[in-house]
Amino acid sequence: MNLIRTKPMSRRTLLRGAGAAIGLPWLEAMTPVIGRAATPKSPMRMAALYMPNGAFPLTWTPECPGRDYELTPSLEPLADLKSEVAVLSNLWNEQSKDGDGHYVKEAAILTSTRIKKTQGADIRNGISVDQVAAKSVAHLTPLPSLELGITPVAVGNDAVVGYTRVYGSHISWSSPTTPLARELNPKAVYERLFRAANGSGADEAKLDSLLLDRVLGDAKQLRRKVGNEDQVRLDEYLSVMRSLEERLARASDPGRDSWEPRVPIDAEMPPTDRPSGHLEHVRLMLDMIALGFQTDTTRVSTFMFGNAVSNVSFRFLDEVDAGHHDVSHHANKDDKLSQYKIINRWHVEQYAYLLRRLASMREGESTVLDNSMILFASALADGQKHDPHKLPILLGGRGGGRIDTGQHLVYSKDHQLSNLYVSMLDAFGAPVERFADSTGPLAGLLHT
Amino acid sequence: MARVSNNEMPPKGSPAPDLGAREEFLDWVETTWQSQACAADLRPPPSLIRRLNRDEYAATVIDLFDLQLDFSEEFPVDGPGGEGFDNAVETLFLSPLHSEKYVEIAKRVLNAASKEYKSRVKIFGPELDPDISEEQAAEKILRAFLPKAFRRPVDDETVASYVALFRVAREEGQDFKPAIFFTLRSVLVSPQFLFHVEAGEDEPELRQYELASRFSYFLWGSMPDEFLLDVAAAGKMDDPKVLRKLVPRMLRNDRSLEFADRFVKQWLRTRELEGAHGPDPELFPEYATNEELHSDILLQPVFFFQYVLRENKLLLNFLDSDHTILTGALAKHFGLVPAEKTSKNPEWMRLPTGSNRGGLLTMPAVLAVSSHSYRTSPVLRGAWILDSILGTPPPPPPPDVPELDDKQEGETPKSIRELLAQHSANAACASCHERIDPLGFALENYDAVGRWRNEYHGAAIDAASELLDGTRIEGPRGLKKALMDRNELFIRNLTKRMLGYAVGRGLTPADACAVETIVDRVEEADFEAWALVREIVLSAPFQEPSAEAQR
Repeated sequence: MNLIRTKPMSRRTLLRGAGAAIGLPWLEAMTPVIGRAATPKSPMRMAALYMPNGAFPLTWTPECPGRDYELTPSLEPLADLKSEVAVLSNLWNEQSKDGDGHYVKEAAILTSTRIKKTQGADIRNGISVDQVAAKSVAHLTPLPSLELGITPVAVGNDAVVGYTRVYGSHISWSSPTTPLARELNPKAVYERLFRAANGSGADEAKLDSLLLDRVLGDAKQLRRKVGNEDQVRLDEYLSVMRSLEERLARASDPGRDSWEPRVPIDAEMPPTDRPSGHLEHVRLMLDMIALGFQTDTTRVSTFMFGNAVSNVSFRFLDEVDAGHHDVSHHANKDDKLSQYKIINRWHVEQYAYLLRRLASMREGESTVLDNSMILFASALADGQKHDPHKLPILLGGRGGGRIDTGQHLVYSKDHQLSNLYVSMLDAFGAPVERFADSTGPLAGLLHT
Repeated sequence: MARVSNNEMPPKGSPAPDLGAREEFLDWVETTWQSQACAADLRPPPSLIRRLNRDEYAATVIDLFDLQLDFSEEFPVDGPGGEGFDNAVETLFLSPLHSEKYVEIAKRVLNAASKEYKSRVKIFGPELDPDISEEQAAEKILRAFLPKAFRRPVDDETVASYVALFRVAREEGQDFKPAIFFTLRSVLVSPQFLFHVEAGEDEPELRQYELASRFSYFLWGSMPDEFLLDVAAAGKMDDPKVLRKLVPRMLRNDRSLEFADRFVKQWLRTRELEGAHGPDPELFPEYATNEELHSDILLQPVFFFQYVLRENKLLLNFLDSDHTILTGALAKHFGLVPAEKTSKNPEWMRLPTGSNRGGLLTMPAVLAVSSHSYRTSPVLRGAWILDSILGTPPPPPPPDVPELDDKQEGETPKSIRELLAQHSANAACASCHERIDPLGFALENYDAVGRWRNEYHGAAIDAASELLDGTRIEGPRGLKKALMDRNELFIRNLTKRMLGYAVGRGLTPADACAVETIVDRVEEADFEAWALVREIVLSAPFQEPSAEAQR
């Protein structure tokens, strides 16, 4: 049911969309850009920011649906961005309802898939929405996607609940069995963006390509000698190395017309690799997303404020004296609850920070934010209840004019979260008929 | 079975057995399993090709080039799998990020090596032979280097393919030495370097090298040295007599600290204290600001473990001991006087009579990692003991359990024991917490950074409790005695963890027989540390023929 129209960019979308396309005769915009002279059409970006431990519904969810809704205390930091954000209420992730309080929920937030319970031997999830998007544009930018976080994968297995902590530390999955490693150090991300955007010069690139040829040869030779299961491992190696080879080849192509940084990256300005605290660390990572998007070094990114069950201390905030997970189990007691609300709001402030950064980056007549979809999501509603119903979900940015922002959309009880992903992929230009357990697009979100 | 132990079976709503019946059932299954596994001669699963994790990668690069640079921080943290360690085949994934890092770090490694005299000697030998052609020289260098990098003999075809790469680099305008460095760069990105490659069916001689590597990465965390490769070349890596001698040799080498560090910090989970989960700096400023103390606390269990293994002490020292590792900073932390007499370097020292500091459980690293960042938690400590020491983790709490009612507005804070009394008031909580909480209560005299205390919030600490079987215990001494009385559980747990670490995968029912054999022999050897390591390297899961050979 509810097939999604696999339509190419329509004239109407282009006209509606903010961006360089506006004002151009439509034929021109529909023609592939050749050479560097023409104003390139603004690319579409997608990011997902993941907040652990849920949000308190009473101070999160606005009372009324529609455009004139009143911002709640948790959402107040979005006051100046209200027209750029859609607040989505009553979405849930059905596949995360059983299992345990955290891992099944965090790991599945972008996959809408029921993860396999395991200490590691047979990890299984679904492919995440960001990776579906990334695959559709991987050939267009130096980096297919950027996975970022703050806290390293937790140590040891959680023998009590019986899930490997790998689940709680990864929201991006390039395949059901492959969680994507995250970069945690802002300086390292910066250097990675810089390297990717600038290439390494023709001589180095030639050597790199010779090197990769050689090691791919080794891998193929080895692959012939080993059993089936080992072949899978070597296929993983072959796949990441081949994709690197392709990217390097594209970056070093002297006749390269397809890509250049939209804004140059300044090598003199790397951020610190030792942020002074949680706030600075988070801000720097969000800056890296903005930089990656602005320069068009990548179009897809995910960021985890913390891992599942994150107990990062928020004592740096006034009137907070405990860790995040601790206060999420507030038992409706004022002391912890007020701290929980402060922490909820703090996360929305950081989200607003990223949206403002992107809005300040002009590209032609529009801004990077206009051409982005920035998802903010937690995998629980009230941390107290480990509740996968009524998830706190926000979508910021107009998605090139496709997203009807500036409204509070309230769905019927237990509406599939995956329907949002169907709509986001449509707006991204990578439409799918279904995503995981979706039943159709999310009504009212996209301009028709 | 896992679902029964996790309280998932029988499903909700069906009549469920009580905890006692449940455990009796689980016990029966496990015993039957073990005897069946032994009787049926179940083969352990074949070992799979797995990549070096980031610590193994960094250590191997350092050994290969005699470099002092550590590149491990450059790579993403590897997630835990198997028996809870980051060297498990199941969770060593490869991301696009890894491929970029491998190429980039290889560049930096060779760049650093080109500037380091010792590294250049490792690569080129003492001097280049002037009487041979460049290409002959390159071949000579690669013929010596490739077997070290790949940790096994390398055939002519492979050498030729790297010589060919050298030739192309020369044709591309690289000088001789840069072309060599470039060729070695590609060696570091090859799967033959990055993976622990298992020997194929048609290469039985390579199995010797596979064992040498497994042995070396287990006890040294890095590539085998020349001596081990000689043993492999002589075909003796599976000779029990040789292995018996090799185990002490490996453990007495300083490199065993690498094993101790990686194994202990993951087994006890104290690696978490290196990140954001440590004690709160505002509440425990002396811990946060005193870097020496912080570092000594983290290393104390590591050095303790290494000493026990190196000196073949009894494994029961982990539960209770009249010795510990001390530094000046630790002695001060423990209130041992005179602290000044203790050196800055960690030393194995006898504790004063009646000391409350013997064994792993009373080490600050363990006491801190099993606490909240801002206060102790008998529940966390009890669950930690059940999981890390006894290997019998408690089942998960039922969903929708609120945290305990900490304090009402305006009330004085309740003692933790008062708080936890709420557990026994609720039957759903009591069945598990009767098992968990008493273990933790016995450690209440230690605060969240492991200092001794006699009171909390002005009230005297009550460290007495009763175990599920009715044993009354009081304080750390009583707890340790109770654990000593159950030392078989501890030894079995330690065996499983160490075996899982050694073979780099999670254990399966087919390993049950091997585990029981090891436990029995360790007991027969009166719990000597070498016996455990020896029996692990002699066991079927460690010695197993490779995947191919089994088919």
